[in-house]
Amino acid sequence: MKVQVKRWNAVAQWRWDTGNTEQEEDSEGDVCGICRVPYEGCCPSCKMPGDDCPLIWGECTHVFHMHCLLKWIGTAASKQQCPMDRKAWVTAERKVGTT
Amino acid sequence: MASISSRRLAKELREIQSEGCPVGISLLEANDFAKWLFTIEVMGDSVYQGEVYTLQFRFDSHYPISSPAVQFVVTDGKEAPIHPHVYSNGHICASILGNEWSPVLSVIAVCVTLQSMLASCKKKERPTDNDRYVRNAPENPKKTLFHYDGEHYNFKSTYLQD
Repeated sequence: MKVQVKRWNAVAQWRWDTGNTEQEEDSEGDVCGICRVPYEGCCPSCKMPGDDCPLIWGECTHVFHMHCLLKWIGTAASKQQCPMDRKAWVTAERKVGTT
Repeated sequence: MASISSRRLAKELREIQSEGCPVGISLLEANDFAKWLFTIEVMGDSVYQGEVYTLQFRFDSHYPISSPAVQFVVTDGKEAPIHPHVYSNGHICASILGNEWSPVLSVIAVCVTLQSMLASCKKKERPTDNDRYVRNAPENPKKTLFHYDGEHYNFKSTYLQD
């Protein structure tokens, strides 16, 4: 039997590399603690997930949608602290593409 | 477009409706994303045995970046629990409602914290400055800056300007 491929559709899936292992999937760890939307979704101010609504990592290892975290840090009430552990927020340097 | 607060609150509400509230806490009213009511009681041995209180949450459009305004309901024959951190007008002096609010907290997390605040109380008494505070208290407890002093139950409160 000879099969001729006439057409094909590629399907791709993406997710942020949060450093979490597969086991931690489907747990609370997959959502932004501030808006409770999955990391792969976008913050409530954005319409499209992806590079326009990136994540931000703290030195404390906590991860949020960048827009959510910046809204919080922008308030006086935040005292510039991480919402999770109340340590001074320091954005961690992450080299994109080197994992 | 739905505000940030309504999306987050819709999520919290769905969770409450599907998983239920912790023991001793139940949702009384949540008709919109501006005001929710819960009943709260302390389970087991406590000075509040058999007493059920009503807790009111008010949200602005910036919740959870902005903290909810939380107080006990003191209308319609309801009363605030007699507790060294709870004023007779229902206002509550609790750090997580003020300078220790964090946007990762939730409505249920606040309920649980207040429930354990009541549970750990040994003696029913009003804050020492209750009368002075209640006389001039703003309508919204978020406009009060409480000075937290967990050790001595010796609260001072000042009113924030608009």
